[in-house]
Amino acid sequence: MAENFTVDATLDVRGESCPYPELYTLEAIEKLEDGKILEVIADCPQSFINVPASCKRHGHEVLSKVKDGTTLYYYIRVCK
Amino acid sequence: MRIWLEKAHEKYFSGFWNPFIVLLLAGVFAAFYFGLTGTLWAVTGEFTRWGGNLLQLFGVDTADWAYFKAIKLIGEPQDRTDGWLVIGMLLGSLFSALASKNFKWKVPRQKRRWVWGFIGGIIAGFGTRLAMGCNLAAFFTGLPQFSLHAWFFIAGTAIGTYFGVKLAVLPIFKGKPKISFSRHAAKSTQPDPQHGNYQLYAAVLVLLFIALIAAWYLISGKIMLGLAALFGAAFGILIQRGQICFTSGLRDLWLTGRGTLGKAIIVGMAIQTAGTAIFIFKGEAPVIHWASPGALVGGVLFGIGIVIAGGCETGWMYRITEGQVQFFAVGAGNIVGATLLAYGWDHWGIFDVFVKGWPEVNIVTSFGWGGALFGTGAFLLALYLLIVWRENWYTKKINAKRTLFEKKTSA
Repeated sequence: MAENFTVDATLDVRGESCPYPELYTLEAIEKLEDGKILEVIADCPQSFINVPASCKRHGHEVLSKVKDGTTLYYYIRVCK
Repeated sequence: MRIWLEKAHEKYFSGFWNPFIVLLLAGVFAAFYFGLTGTLWAVTGEFTRWGGNLLQLFGVDTADWAYFKAIKLIGEPQDRTDGWLVIGMLLGSLFSALASKNFKWKVPRQKRRWVWGFIGGIIAGFGTRLAMGCNLAAFFTGLPQFSLHAWFFIAGTAIGTYFGVKLAVLPIFKGKPKISFSRHAAKSTQPDPQHGNYQLYAAVLVLLFIALIAAWYLISGKIMLGLAALFGAAFGILIQRGQICFTSGLRDLWLTGRGTLGKAIIVGMAIQTAGTAIFIFKGEAPVIHWASPGALVGGVLFGIGIVIAGGCETGWMYRITEGQVQFFAVGAGNIVGATLLAYGWDHWGIFDVFVKGWPEVNIVTSFGWGGALFGTGAFLLALYLLIVWRENWYTKKINAKRTLFEKKTSA
């Protein structure tokens, strides 16, 4: 599931609730160049649906999700 | 047995349920709840009564408040069907959050979330009661009653959430993300399936508790209270499993152009309308409220409030059972806002300005069954098309941005 890749930036949205996990993720992606990998750490269940859906919609690639208890780690490759 | 249980758990509680199926079920349950009890799946009327009960605890005499007379403030929460419906929803949602191991105490990192949660909650609570119902009784379960006030409220909420989104992206509301640009390896730990198993035991306890309450009331002859607790639990499980957030359904349409939840809500209302039509046709009295400017203005206030707060009345209920503590502030705000409206209803003349003289329009008696069914269907279809249009508009926006970027980089 989790391959070995290097993360370029980490966005920690634990404790945040909608719509901010999603908004912050899209804004963080804006700051990154093509091909960079963003790690998003989230614990709001609603964001488990919204964040990957919005990333895909904007054409970025969700590489993997790692679930650790009630926290999710997303790895998103920026595609510009 | 054990393997069967594990399989069922994996199937129903590892991911979330499809919102279309959840809202279809919610629509069917809501129609039957109306058919069996004659009341609606609703919550904010009860929150207002909680405000009244709290004031009574502090010795305030609320006997002459006109609003409390209108919404029948009698007894305490445990004596009322609406009271058990709300408690049932909280317990059902808690069961669902625990069963899916989604429970975790979550404290907002930014203090502003508490402040906006409370203020947004007050605005939303005030607005819903001005309109005589929230995203349930003036929206999801209100429209299928063929009460015109729900049309006004839905229009108001659409407008309000649009402006709410304009506010929510401002720095004072948005705050700052916690982001770092240090390179490191991705997390590769495999999840431990045993982790959080205590939540499953707690879930079983909650489920037993719901069963006990329902059994107690059904056996002691207070069937309505038992039914309310059971239906409440079913609604609670559904909204948590489907993450049914009406705020998200409307807000995300304006903010990120996602309309899945909005469409699912419309499908749920359509199926429910078919159900309530049968019950009303068979003689059940529909719940109709004033089709007044109050319903429209209340909808706008509600829309703004829920976006600022991050959750509507049903949204904060399932979120506190997932341990998101900032939503206690939203819930408290709702009760304060609703109670303020109840006070202002006659004391500040709110009723005279917004509601007095406006009729309670029952679309069935005004336009006949044909007109009511056709009109409601057309209204739902118009909402559906609005969502599709907005989704397409947003997709075009994304594509245009990408083409612009490609041109820039190739040049």
